[in-house]
Amino acid sequence: MTIELSRRGFCIGTALIGLQTVSSSAFAARSEDGTVRLGLVAPMSGPNARYGSFSMRGAQMAAKEINSVGGVGGRKINILPGDSQGTPVEGVSATRRLIDQDHVDFIIGDVSSSVTLAMQPVAEDAGVLLLNAASSNPKITYKAGVGGFKWTYRNYPTDENRALIVLQYAAEKKGFTKYAVLSVDTDYGRAAIEFTKKYLPRFKSQILTEDYYKEGEVDFRSVLSKIRDSGAQAIIMYGNADSTPIVGRQMMEVGIAGKIPLIGNAEFNTASTIKAAPKALEGAIEAAAWLPAYESEKSKAFVEKFTAEYREAPNNHAYVHWETVHLLARAIEEAQSIDREKVRSALSNIHYTSAVGEVTFDDHNQARLPMILLEIENGKPAIKGAYSAEIDYPK
Amino acid sequence: MFFTVIEQVVNGIVSGSVYAIVAVGMTMIFGVLRAINFAHGEYYMLGTFGAWFAIEYFDLPYPVAVVIGVVTTALIAVIVGNFVMQRIVGAPAEAGVLATLGAALILQNTIILVFGGSYKFFSGGYIEPVTLFGFTLAEQRILIIIVGMIVFVGLELMVTYSRMGKAMRAVSQNIECCAVVGIDVRHIALWTFILGAGLAALSGVLTAPVNVSVYGGMGELITFKTLPIIIMGGLGNVRGTFVAAMILGIAESLVATYIGLQFRDTVGFATLMLVLMWRPHGLFSAQARF
Amino acid sequence: MTEIVREVTVTPAERTVAAGRDLRGPFGVALIALACIAPLFLGNYPLHAIIIALIFLLPAHGLNLLLGYTGLLSLAQAAFFGIGAYTSALLAVHFGTPFYVNFLAAGVVTGIIALPLGIPALRLRATSFVMCTLGFVIIGQAIAKNWISLTRGDMGLAGVPKPHFALGPASFTVSGTVGFYYLVLVIAALATLVVYLIVRSPAGRNMIAIRENETLAESVGIPTWHYKLVVFMISAAFAGFGGSLYAHYLTVVSPLTFQMYYSTTMLIIVLGGGAGTISGVIFGSLLFVGLTEALRVAPELRMIAYGFFLLGLVFWFPNGFAPLIGRFSSFLEKRK
Repeated sequence: MTIELSRRGFCIGTALIGLQTVSSSAFAARSEDGTVRLGLVAPMSGPNARYGSFSMRGAQMAAKEINSVGGVGGRKINILPGDSQGTPVEGVSATRRLIDQDHVDFIIGDVSSSVTLAMQPVAEDAGVLLLNAASSNPKITYKAGVGGFKWTYRNYPTDENRALIVLQYAAEKKGFTKYAVLSVDTDYGRAAIEFTKKYLPRFKSQILTEDYYKEGEVDFRSVLSKIRDSGAQAIIMYGNADSTPIVGRQMMEVGIAGKIPLIGNAEFNTASTIKAAPKALEGAIEAAAWLPAYESEKSKAFVEKFTAEYREAPNNHAYVHWETVHLLARAIEEAQSIDREKVRSALSNIHYTSAVGEVTFDDHNQARLPMILLEIENGKPAIKGAYSAEIDYPK
Repeated sequence: MFFTVIEQVVNGIVSGSVYAIVAVGMTMIFGVLRAINFAHGEYYMLGTFGAWFAIEYFDLPYPVAVVIGVVTTALIAVIVGNFVMQRIVGAPAEAGVLATLGAALILQNTIILVFGGSYKFFSGGYIEPVTLFGFTLAEQRILIIIVGMIVFVGLELMVTYSRMGKAMRAVSQNIECCAVVGIDVRHIALWTFILGAGLAALSGVLTAPVNVSVYGGMGELITFKTLPIIIMGGLGNVRGTFVAAMILGIAESLVATYIGLQFRDTVGFATLMLVLMWRPHGLFSAQARF
Repeated sequence: MTEIVREVTVTPAERTVAAGRDLRGPFGVALIALACIAPLFLGNYPLHAIIIALIFLLPAHGLNLLLGYTGLLSLAQAAFFGIGAYTSALLAVHFGTPFYVNFLAAGVVTGIIALPLGIPALRLRATSFVMCTLGFVIIGQAIAKNWISLTRGDMGLAGVPKPHFALGPASFTVSGTVGFYYLVLVIAALATLVVYLIVRSPAGRNMIAIRENETLAESVGIPTWHYKLVVFMISAAFAGFGGSLYAHYLTVVSPLTFQMYYSTTMLIIVLGGGAGTISGVIFGSLLFVGLTEALRVAPELRMIAYGFFLLGLVFWFPNGFAPLIGRFSSFLEKRK
């Protein structure tokens, strides 16, 4: 059973791998080829690949649009993908590869907050601009800008923002004070509830039951019956799109559909979700960074184009990545160079008009973004306005 | 209060039935192949995708889609069975772990490559709620319980009376003796595997209407739910697996209600470890195999 | 060329094997030199890949002691890796203790935690033991997620400081890839030496005896139960050390550290290189990281290719890839 290696055999083996590594670095393309080299880190394989595919498609569509009109400042945008598999170690490896091997100048990524947090120091050490488009953990920008990491920017609203806006609307417009929590068991779902709790006293509200479901959970009947018997007026739900139709269907089964609305954010507004459980989603309140039904010319055009291109409706991840590539292109245009320093200062001072409104960055490199508040009425999302809130950074 | 408990038990039986149909296939595969099949949930996923594909692209009615899902999965199982599972008969445990993990990666990521990673919407099935004895359930769930019972009785009859069933029992007890008396072990192994994969697919197609979402990564969770069940049920023991699946379904349901949903996925392994401390061979002794 | 660096740590393990050859001395020195100057001719990305390989090498060494030498298939390495990472990160974030304290504490704490877990688990046989060890990973993740007051749950612990050493008035911080490379290189070399000393000691021979035939080992007076328990604890401690390096290198720890993915990674490293050999595990960790990084060229096909690689490993190279290279080199030698 015991196998011993000869010394030479071992050398040959290791040398083979070594050769592969060296040769690939020697032939790696340089950045002076007249393109904008943009890395995109996202989960592209494994259970979370569904987020990555939307991100990639959104970004690629933006690049195509920009390149078809001659690129930015005469340079074509070249997107180089990096697979994070949704885990920090893979995300860091992908980032390293993009920086050292592919010589990217800018990186967009990741979806998952814990991956982004791990990527931050890597980008900082290399002096590569990390522009996040889809992670909502507030810590990312607590630590950015004047908080420390000079090279991290985020063009996405944080959980704190969202939690406050939802709670405020539910309390002031609907008069709710008793809530049940049913959120996804990830940094996103947990953090949103943590910040909801922070603002509960302000609205004299309370949480009666608190449950978190694992991504991919399919059986909510037990917890929904508990919520039914608890006396809650609304279910606070921060989750991912795939669980919402299941929850909706099972709300109908346990008989709380139409009685206890869902509030929060879990893509309540997509047509297929509403179709799956129309009665349960009626009256659902959602704060979203963006939604396909948003009434603006730019947004409508995006939805139309994306649907035509990929034969499926875009989701939030597709939109934010599409918009972020455009935002970066604008920053490069204003800097009139792909020099990282110049692009970074252009980004800090940018006034960019996105599909949902004007984007500017605060001193923590966090985009000031409006959140769209909507309510499902008669099976269709009705937009109740765009709200924004200035974040109180911990001192 | 009492009513709530009963309602949760009923919920538990529904999810227990789903687990049972998946786990029973996995435990039979273990009995014959002596390998933990880490790819088992993927057949559940494949069955669901087959049915989804039939409904979405060809607009076929749900019952036809069920058949297509199961048959497609069985065909894929023939390939995997020939190239992977047959070869791990008699291999060490770690080889089985790696080979089935490899198969899981290939199946899962091929589906993601072909259909994209985004979630799909499953639109077939019987989802209208009905009220029985004061409980409201979707029709589909009642169907799941009924099919679960049929599968259980059918398997009991098969392993007791049919020639193939007897051969399966024989192989699970002593591979060498089977070879001596002329039972084609590899043949039996292949058929057991196809049967197991087909049952997992059936379970997937049956639950798809109530679970609504279909995506490439959905199999992994099922694999992890099933693993503790087959150990608790006494590896290779059909009857024990059914009981263990029901126990786990009910326990999960009660934990989700009275402790918290976030602890639900821990129930399986926590129960398993408690059971193993008390009875190292599972609740149902391995001697009572099949 | 880079990975020849690792040869340095193999030297002791191979010494007895190749004792007859004279070229070994100068060759070893050349390799040590190569390891030390590797950062001069390697970019940050290959160095990063080697660092990851070396971090995974520690839990893989642990698993090798358990699986390769004692014959116990365990999937608990990810749980101990996670416990080590959290121990280190919590100490650093809450108490600001220096790296070497965190590092040692991670190994010791993990080893101690392994004792109460190992006592019930090791009573189990075969599949039940495998599942029980997998259970540790699942339950570990649940604890990391739900014990929010301690672990901050899914928010994770970010900002684990870079290793900082202070000796009297002189102090320096290991920042950047090159610094970390040397740190990990030294630790991995020491770990390899420790494993070498264990397996070449009488205890190591007793472990092999347990692997080959436990009943026989028991009958000749080897206290098999105590051996298995101690090896389980040592292997956990190795995983804990690896987890500590992971925490300080990536600076972020989250419940995702408790994943079966890492357990199978360790298993692939050990089996890919060749279970029951030290050089095999070292080769395996480089092979594994080299492979996953090489597959990055095609992100969509990456995991599919990886799956096929696993099947190929199991069916064509059941003893790992290392013997293949051994055979290849002896083939070359014969031709000369």
